[in-house]
Amino acid sequence: MLLREVEYAKPGAVAEALQLLAANEGARALAGGQTLVNVMKARAASPDMLVDLNGLEELRGIELAGDGTLTIGAMTTYTELMRSAEAKARPILGEVCATIADVQVRNRGTIGGNVCSNDPTNHLPPLMVAIGARMTIAGADGEREVPAEDFFLGVYLTAVGPGELLTRISIPAGKKDGFAAVTLGAEGTCICNAAATVNGAVRIALGCVDAVPVVVTADSAGGVADAVRAANLTPPSDVHASSEYRTHLAAVLATRAAEEAAAR
Amino acid sequence: MEIAVTVNGQTYERDVEPRKLLIHFLRDDLDLTGSHIGCDTGNCGACSVIVDGVLLKSCMLLAVQANGTRIETVEGLSEDGELTRLQQAFNEHHALQCGYCTPGMLMSTTALLRENPSPSEDEIKKALQGNICRCTGYWNIVEAVKSVAK
Amino acid sequence: MSETTLAPAPVEVQKGWGGQSVKRKEDKRLLQGEGVFVDDVKRHGMGYLHFVRSPYAHAHITRIDVSAAEAIDGVYGTLTGEEVAALTDPFFQISSAPGANIKDYALAVGKVRYVGEPVVAVVAETRELARDASELVEVDYEALPALVDARRAQDSDAPVLHEDAGGNLMWTGLYSWGDFDAALAEADRVVKIPELHFHRFNSTPLECDGALVEYNRGVGQWTIHTNNQFPGFAAIMMGPAMRTGLDKLRFVTQDIGGGFGNKITSHPQLVVCCLLARKLNRPVQWTEWRTDFHLSMSHGNERWFHDTEVAVKDDGTLLGFRTKALDDAGAWLRYEPLGGVIWAQVTPGMYRWRHIELDFTQVATNKAPVSPNRGYSRMQHLWFTERVIDIVARELDLDPVDVRKRNYIRAEDMPYETPNGCVYDSGDYAATLDLALQLIGYDSLAGRRADAEARGKRLGVGIGSTLDSGTNNFGQSQLINPELQFSGNNEVATVKLDIFGEIVVTLGTTPQGQGHETTAAQVVADILSCSPDDVHVRAGHDSYWNSHAGFSGTYASQFAVTGLSAVKGATEMLAAEIKKLAGAVFGGVPAEALELADGGVRIKDNPDAFLPFMACGAIINANNAGLPEDLDVTLNCRYVYRPPFEVPDVERKFGNLTLTYAVQIHVAVVEVDPETGSYEIVDYAAVDDCGKRINPQIVEGQVMGATAQALGAAVHETYEYDEDGNLLTPNFYDYHVPHALDMPPLATGAIESPSPFTPLGTKGMGEGGGAGIHAICAAIQDATGQIVTDSHNPYQRVWELMQQ
Ligand SMILES: Cc1cc2nc3c(=O)[nH]c(=O)nc-3n(C[C@H](O)[C@H](O)[C@H](O)COP(=O)(O)OP(=O)(O)OC[C@H]3O[C@@H](n4cnc5c(N)ncnc54)[C@H](O)[C@@H]3O)c2cc1C
Ligand code: FES
Ligand code: FES
Repeated sequence: MLLREVEYAKPGAVAEALQLLAANEGARALAGGQTLVNVMKARAASPDMLVDLNGLEELRGIELAGDGTLTIGAMTTYTELMRSAEAKARPILGEVCATIADVQVRNRGTIGGNVCSNDPTNHLPPLMVAIGARMTIAGADGEREVPAEDFFLGVYLTAVGPGELLTRISIPAGKKDGFAAVTLGAEGTCICNAAATVNGAVRIALGCVDAVPVVVTADSAGGVADAVRAANLTPPSDVHASSEYRTHLAAVLATRAAEEAAAR
Repeated sequence: MEIAVTVNGQTYERDVEPRKLLIHFLRDDLDLTGSHIGCDTGNCGACSVIVDGVLLKSCMLLAVQANGTRIETVEGLSEDGELTRLQQAFNEHHALQCGYCTPGMLMSTTALLRENPSPSEDEIKKALQGNICRCTGYWNIVEAVKSVAK
Repeated sequence: MSETTLAPAPVEVQKGWGGQSVKRKEDKRLLQGEGVFVDDVKRHGMGYLHFVRSPYAHAHITRIDVSAAEAIDGVYGTLTGEEVAALTDPFFQISSAPGANIKDYALAVGKVRYVGEPVVAVVAETRELARDASELVEVDYEALPALVDARRAQDSDAPVLHEDAGGNLMWTGLYSWGDFDAALAEADRVVKIPELHFHRFNSTPLECDGALVEYNRGVGQWTIHTNNQFPGFAAIMMGPAMRTGLDKLRFVTQDIGGGFGNKITSHPQLVVCCLLARKLNRPVQWTEWRTDFHLSMSHGNERWFHDTEVAVKDDGTLLGFRTKALDDAGAWLRYEPLGGVIWAQVTPGMYRWRHIELDFTQVATNKAPVSPNRGYSRMQHLWFTERVIDIVARELDLDPVDVRKRNYIRAEDMPYETPNGCVYDSGDYAATLDLALQLIGYDSLAGRRADAEARGKRLGVGIGSTLDSGTNNFGQSQLINPELQFSGNNEVATVKLDIFGEIVVTLGTTPQGQGHETTAAQVVADILSCSPDDVHVRAGHDSYWNSHAGFSGTYASQFAVTGLSAVKGATEMLAAEIKKLAGAVFGGVPAEALELADGGVRIKDNPDAFLPFMACGAIINANNAGLPEDLDVTLNCRYVYRPPFEVPDVERKFGNLTLTYAVQIHVAVVEVDPETGSYEIVDYAAVDDCGKRINPQIVEGQVMGATAQALGAAVHETYEYDEDGNLLTPNFYDYHVPHALDMPPLATGAIESPSPFTPLGTKGMGEGGGAGIHAICAAIQDATGQIVTDSHNPYQRVWELMQQ
């Protein structure tokens, strides 16, 4: 509770938001606030200015193209994604979002905020990497697209640079996906998770085992556990799991996610 | 910053610091102390309110972000001191002990029943996932909601 | 054809409100957001208090500078440890030496001893500003090595927290009853358990602590609006420290958002508020936030049991045990070392063994101070006895149900005197277990086991059988420190008939959700032959009025005995006075010829001679001329209930430590995922016998709540520290309490074995003895086939067990 003093701006257009972010070194984008406000309560970080993205219609909406590609605005909430008929084209998206936190958080938290905060325990970073999402970043010099695999740079660190915004995420067509996690209580924070997609070969992205999602590939679900072991993970230890336990879970969960994906 | 919000049908205009959380604004500035604070990390849901029809935790939002919205809090549920069916069901089923989580529980279940008037037991539990109760173990809360489900 | 009745229907007086699930009177305000919790109280000009807390587990404070903080506009002032040391005396210590020698003040003086310890208090115009200013307070520390593992506390090279105590040993006492060596000689087997560990957690009431304190210079009195759940204890701690009489400390509470024991020891923070209210001459408001609570408030006692030996016969007959209990008190003795004797209320658990030796040692560590937590100190001990039973059963290859039944104290043995002189009042433990097993479908478990196996899961079943001892004999404190002058117990109620016949009840207690207003009304209604709706039970507690006694409060499973017995006593006094008055009004009718009925009093043989309560109240309060001079009737009756206790024998550590012993038997079924160690509680039964139940629904609510807390503690909840003394679970993210989706299906059952020792046949209840923790440990042991030695079994630990 009890934040430091902060300025507040609510731009009506992305261009205006980018200007505000570029002009104020201490400015931070405010999306759903479901991470950022907590950080500010703890005073772990204290931006000088919050640029509220909630007025930006350009960052909302879900579109399904003819080739099955989904384009999702960064400010789309989990609840919107779960309810969207278009998003059903890639069923795993809604399914995973439905297990993030709780109704209140899902009503506010955004897909853009989830990936931009890149908390290693978050659900979406590994999922985005596994399913081959592409992130569109806007800045003073226009837009660029970054594959999810290159988007995550470190804990709370992504390819979105100062003065930039993530505007949308595009996701290729596909259905054969899986997600498995061991959580702190039912549908709680992830202790370890794995997202998988099968497209000929199996592609896995592991969460909670490193600062960024770790990609592992295998020919089939049966080969996943060995592939994870071969990756020589050195996950962090914390109060919920030792490095050794996480390493073990990674192999088990990767296999389960891959089996789920293969079975679709 | 000047903001105007409508809470339980009444409009309030106030000058607030941008850093003030909506829950503090409701409790300290508007004296609407029915919504509670049970944590400082957005986990407990004691502060849950409905803003423009959307259930959210009022400790995860700045008061200035609520500018121009219609807010519903526990104080606005009953009319003329008459408990709603849901409130009565909480009493019937002993769904509250200390009553500290109760305002949040009522807002979450009110939001659920609006969207889904006949939720299953699992749907009720899932709807309560953002609200911590340390007294009841949730069983009686689920029973209370079940009893008013159509 | 419909009929309209104009005359009011006769009030239907139902006989026997006690025993019915009357709907709670408290709910109407709480359901509308109209409760008054401490943070809801406001005063003109009040300042908000924020604590500067220690970032170190152990350090010397070398310098404090508050000038930058005080220079800010809107900051009203500060308080430092140095000022506290000048203005107050150290808190009175319950302990005998060496613990008696520590010097505990309301703020850290010279040294900090745990992360989160309050060092400076800052008061400002707004909450936010108080926090801003607290960031400007400069404190220099000289870090010292931290002691976090109680097992290292007495090592020669261990850092010492309290130099005044000469080391980290706070209190030690050897308890020995029967003849354990003889038991060893008689035994067929001695089962040895090197180490058992009961972890640190607490009940985390959803509302944290808080206060709004006003000081009146004119009368030198503080009014303390607070959610402290045992104001009588707070007053005893605060008065001498603040060098003031207790009458100058007025405690006011209304609604409390859960307590569970965790809101007993907020007296240091309250002293800070008091000093600042006086210093700044304005009301001071303090709200503890969740992280503050986790860092600093009332953790449950962490306890180790070392070198346990259990003397048993081959058939599973238990003869006795010997163990060394090592209790981790954290940095201060705020209610401790009472935990060093409270466990002895349930020394043998539920079993008939007679030879018991327990060497109890309590040490200080650089962690948050421990204080009572639901099931206080008995839970740790009962977990130990339940672990022993299941470990013995496993070692002897016997059925845990059989071992329990063979050793349970039998119904025909009641009342049963335990080896240390406690008297278990009533109960049929074996029948209670049978009911629990029936509820869980124990006979059909083989099929469920196979079914789980087919799904790749391992099923485990576990029993937790415990006692909830209630109504303390405070004389047990003399076993800790023979110089203490506390014994017995008491509670107060007043019941009056007001001018329009309103029945008004005040309680000495400070309920936190236990429904006292409702159950008190039921008891009153039965005696006055009216409806609970006619009984107004005042919400909250105000020590300004004559409504409390030395041990008043709500703690330690006693309201149904102490509180309701006081209500019963006061109401019976009132009933007698009403009859006396009516007798005089009717011209000398003796009390025996009168009865209370239909909201008034009448002559039995002539029901037309009827005096409604309204008339009684009006006559005494407003129309009393001409009444007989010797009519000593006030219709305002105060009764102090005092349970029958003797002072325990300090030498032998022998005596009855509590009045009632409610029984809980829980059975848990878990399914373990052998690949990950994660598990789900798939079924659960809880049977409770707390004697006569005044309101079965409220009793069941307590059973449910205690169950949920135990399950949380068993699986996820833990106050875990790193080696530098940093708390790793300081919020609800990392300290995962159960949510709705975590709860298993639950079947509850009840048996009523009335207590022969209490006026209403009731027993205290609500703490639940941690039965759920015991049951989960046993179920994990069953599922994994490995001995469980820790009370906390998160998934990783279960996975590790399966690697063995
Ligand atoms: C109780 C609770 C439990 C939770 N449990 C989970 C969980 O189990 N799994 C999970 O995945 N998450 C969980 N979360 C986090 C939640 O999903 C957040 O919503 C999410 O991490 C952040 O999204 P947001 O929209 O709220 O972003 P914000 O909090 O507003 O922002 C987060 C960060 O991203 C930046 N940012 C946001 N949007 C953009 C953008 N478009 N461009 C550039 N930068 C941007 C912000 O500046 C900020 O630094 C939980 C949160 C809470 C409160
Ligand atoms: S106070 Fe808002 S979620 Fe806990
Ligand atoms: S009733 Fe006390 S927290 Fe829910």
